[in-house]
Amino acid sequence: MKNLFVKIMHSKVWDSIFRSKLPINTNLDRSLVIFNSLTLHIHPVKVREKAIKFSYTFYLGMISFFLFIILIVTGVLLMLYYQPAIPNAYENMKDLQYVVSNGMFLRNLHRWAAHLMVISVFLHMIRVFYAGAYKPPREFNWVVGVVLLVLTLLLSYTGYLLPFDQLSYWAVTVGVNLIQYIPVIGEKTKFLFLGGHEIGEYTLVRFYVLHCVILPLVMVLLIAFHFWRIRKDGGLH
Amino acid sequence: MCSYKTESNNENKIKRRKFLSIVGNSATGLVTFGALAVTIDFLSPNVIKERPPKFKVGPIQNIQPDTFIYEPEYRVFVVRDGNGAFYAISAICTHLGCNVKWIDSNIRNDSSVAIACPCHGSKFNRKGEVIEGPAPKGLQRFRIKLSDDDLIVDTSDIVSEEEMYLKV
Repeated sequence: MKNLFVKIMHSKVWDSIFRSKLPINTNLDRSLVIFNSLTLHIHPVKVREKAIKFSYTFYLGMISFFLFIILIVTGVLLMLYYQPAIPNAYENMKDLQYVVSNGMFLRNLHRWAAHLMVISVFLHMIRVFYAGAYKPPREFNWVVGVVLLVLTLLLSYTGYLLPFDQLSYWAVTVGVNLIQYIPVIGEKTKFLFLGGHEIGEYTLVRFYVLHCVILPLVMVLLIAFHFWRIRKDGGLH
Repeated sequence: MCSYKTESNNENKIKRRKFLSIVGNSATGLVTFGALAVTIDFLSPNVIKERPPKFKVGPIQNIQPDTFIYEPEYRVFVVRDGNGAFYAISAICTHLGCNVKWIDSNIRNDSSVAIACPCHGSKFNRKGEVIEGPAPKGLQRFRIKLSDDDLIVDTSDIVSEEEMYLKV
């Protein structure tokens, strides 16, 4: 068995996919793994053992990221059974619960991961705050983090309308009426969010596109930037 | 305008490189702002499939004094007061847009709570004026007209308290 793995890892196919030559023994080898990797040098080549101690970060950022991955996987699967239309949206949601195999499990996984992500992002922010990690030279990454928190909340909010039940309808009614109180541009912004004067077909499609395309895209870009900045700003000490 | 010196004896003459970069940047700027303006314009729908603003209630003989009719699709209360006059008020709370509920239809005076909002606890009298709670203003009043034996409520025509009554 072990011989088989060694054989595969020294094969031509393996070499064509993974550029780093095995075995990896020296520090130079280790740096090359990082420098040659797809995500380039998003992670440091070396870290201090103290900096990755659980009690130091509680791994809250990584937990948030892991939940985000769960949300993407379950979300894409849910999209296969969901149409952002009235009355299809509500019926699809009920079908997911009672007709589709493992649909209830998938939907609940998406829901709970979303709740947990809001909690873990918030705890991550608190941890960073009490560690004083918002101070220079890390002040810009703190700002990126705050934007990521807002994006997390916006993703939760836009996802809330999609089941299109009574709870969704009134939560979004109250939410967009809050927007209306912004001076000067309030009315127009509300109109653009709703795609009309009240919640309708256009609103559902708009929230769907925001939830499934625009916000996750911005989120992925900012997360990548956020990770990269950790190291560029000096990493953990 | 241009501060740098040219080799040519004419100081106002600009070099080809500078000229092309101005033309290129202007064109890029124009296209960028144009695309942005067109996109913002695109986001506003021109045709919205929403119901027409007017609806009919009636005939008026069937509406007794001191009663009201709730029109759920338009979210409007059509009320006939003790004097037999009609008026129409919105059921949309002026705070954050929830549906208000008529909690007591036996109210005869204007100082008691007749209508309440379940979301954040705003309270209104039977004419839609705020009695307590976070609502910043009274419920909207709509113009009401008589057509044969039916009442026509126009939700696009918002009127003052004096104008809201229809005496028959």
